[in-house]
Amino acid sequence: MENTIKNITYDALVIGGGIAGGEAALNLAVTGFKVLLVEKDLSVGGKMIMLSKVFPTLDCSACITTPKISEISRHPNITIFTGTEVGNIRKVSDTEFVAKVTKKPRYVHVADCTSCQLCEQACPVSVSDEYQYGLVGRKAAFIPFSIASPKAAAIDIDNCTLCGACEKVCPTNCIDFTMVPETMNLHVRTVILATGFDLIDPKKMPRYGYGTFKNVLTAMQMERQLAPTRPFNTILRPGDGKMPDKLAYVLCAGSRDATVGNPICSQICCMYSIKQAQLLMGALPMADVTIYYINIRSFGKGFEEFYQQAKGMGVNFVKGKIGRITEKENGNLTLRYEDINTGKLMEADHDMVVLSTGVVPPKGIDGLFEGETLYMDQFNFVKQSDPLANPSKTSIDGVFVAGTATGPMDIPDSILSAGSASSEAISYLIQHV
Amino acid sequence: MEVEKGKTAKYLREKLGGIPEQAKERLKEFNQQKKKITEALKDGELTVKQLSEKLEMPSHEVMYNLSSLVKYGQVLVGDIDDMDEYFTYKLNK
Ligand SMILES: Cc1cc2nc3c(=O)[nH]c(=O)nc-3n(C[C@H](O)[C@H](O)[C@H](O)COP(=O)(O)OP(=O)(O)OC[C@H]3O[C@@H](n4cnc5c(N)ncnc54)[C@H](O)[C@@H]3O)c2cc1C
Ligand code: SF4
Ligand code: SF4
Repeated sequence: MENTIKNITYDALVIGGGIAGGEAALNLAVTGFKVLLVEKDLSVGGKMIMLSKVFPTLDCSACITTPKISEISRHPNITIFTGTEVGNIRKVSDTEFVAKVTKKPRYVHVADCTSCQLCEQACPVSVSDEYQYGLVGRKAAFIPFSIASPKAAAIDIDNCTLCGACEKVCPTNCIDFTMVPETMNLHVRTVILATGFDLIDPKKMPRYGYGTFKNVLTAMQMERQLAPTRPFNTILRPGDGKMPDKLAYVLCAGSRDATVGNPICSQICCMYSIKQAQLLMGALPMADVTIYYINIRSFGKGFEEFYQQAKGMGVNFVKGKIGRITEKENGNLTLRYEDINTGKLMEADHDMVVLSTGVVPPKGIDGLFEGETLYMDQFNFVKQSDPLANPSKTSIDGVFVAGTATGPMDIPDSILSAGSASSEAISYLIQHV
Repeated sequence: MEVEKGKTAKYLREKLGGIPEQAKERLKEFNQQKKKITEALKDGELTVKQLSEKLEMPSHEVMYNLSSLVKYGQVLVGDIDDMDEYFTYKLNK
């Protein structure tokens, strides 16, 4: 049974708690506006909080994200709802939107949880850890990851056997299986969409063997392996625990490929792959790393130098288009590719392959609004109604867009875009009192 | 109805009329795999490949379960072999 709760009022609703949503919320909050930040996941931080280091500076991602997130979380003008979904949003007047949001039960009272992890230790269940991209298990009573915000346990009710072991050991009695979904009507004056991006499902490209060949990983899985809070003690093959020494990157895996419905360049894959290759050379000094690419798009500030730095470190760049990957009995992988310079078909063996999977839009964003049409672009990202003069404006007056919700971009551009969306929203709020 | 703190799992179990089948199945499967791996490690340290052969379990399943047991503190990572390829794993006694 759901509790339908009263009406709550804020100046702005920010949907999506990644770096773009967080930045936009903070800008609104410091200007004095009351913001509700709604995140569907159990933690804010989006993809960035899961990264190892960031290109092109190789700063530790967690070290940049954590202080930012804590500033957002502690700001008195920002309320954060995690584990919350936006049902629909109606524009009821020039100065008001009504959004129906539903907070899923976490089964833990966050304010009382000390994140002592005793519940995790007591829980007998083990299921795939989505925050380690399936490389390792987690408990049904779990803290999503060590730098999660809020840092509090949650219960995965679909996998919980309701044995009660977690609540028996919880020192603060904060686990509560009587929690039910809460639905609220939010009255807000402006909306910022910061719903981010998804990564293409590599199983859509069976020629790469992802899922079947256990030593073919996604770049996000490699990010986790390179992060300090990694799933294994070092970089290892998920297929058999071997420390790899001949790794390959397949760029444009599911980008610039109309056959999988994603004809555009994902803009970040070249650079994050070059970053990971550099980090791998540090983590596995004896390893060979080869990047198979169609073109290297090193267009941003410091990117070309970063690319040259990787070459200088010994990363091998092959201009080649991968046709097919096959697996050998020992778990090694044979890559068949067309050498673009010579037109010849070639083969190379590697012991681990990383797919630099493409950026795709999240589903369901256009369906958030009732009575108004949110236009999407031809690739299904949120359409910028005036991309040159006013890049954060959407087809609905009072609704703005930030970060990768408009298309692929890196962290600095997402933050810039959030700056634009928040200043547009502030100006809208001032004009529509 | 006031539900006693610390006993709310029982309340939900009664409300749902039992435990979801899928959760029960997954727990059973994990317990079986955990038992096999920990039994096999009682005789000494083993690599993923050695465990896989001994248990006739696919090596990726061994790796996943073993890494989970390392995370839960039940298994420890031992040394790497002379070829710098495979680590051994041992029970955390
Ligand atoms: C493997 C990899 C490595 C990368 N490395 C780098 C790097 O080194 N340097 C760099 O600059 N960039 C890097 N990037 C790019 C970087 O991750 C993005 O630029 C950045 O995360 C974009 O932030 P965002 O807030 O727009 O989106 P996201 O991080 O996707 O955040 C969006 C948030 O919105 C939430 N959300 C979505 N829909 C809803 C909804 N309906 N209701 C509520 N919440 C919702 C999501 O759960 C998510 O938390 C990398 C990306 C990948 C995949
Ligand atoms: S829910 Fe309880 S036992 Fe679990 S981490 Fe929080 S305080 Fe500790
Ligand atoms: S009640 Fe559920 S979450 Fe808690 S210990 Fe048992 S299985 Fe784990």
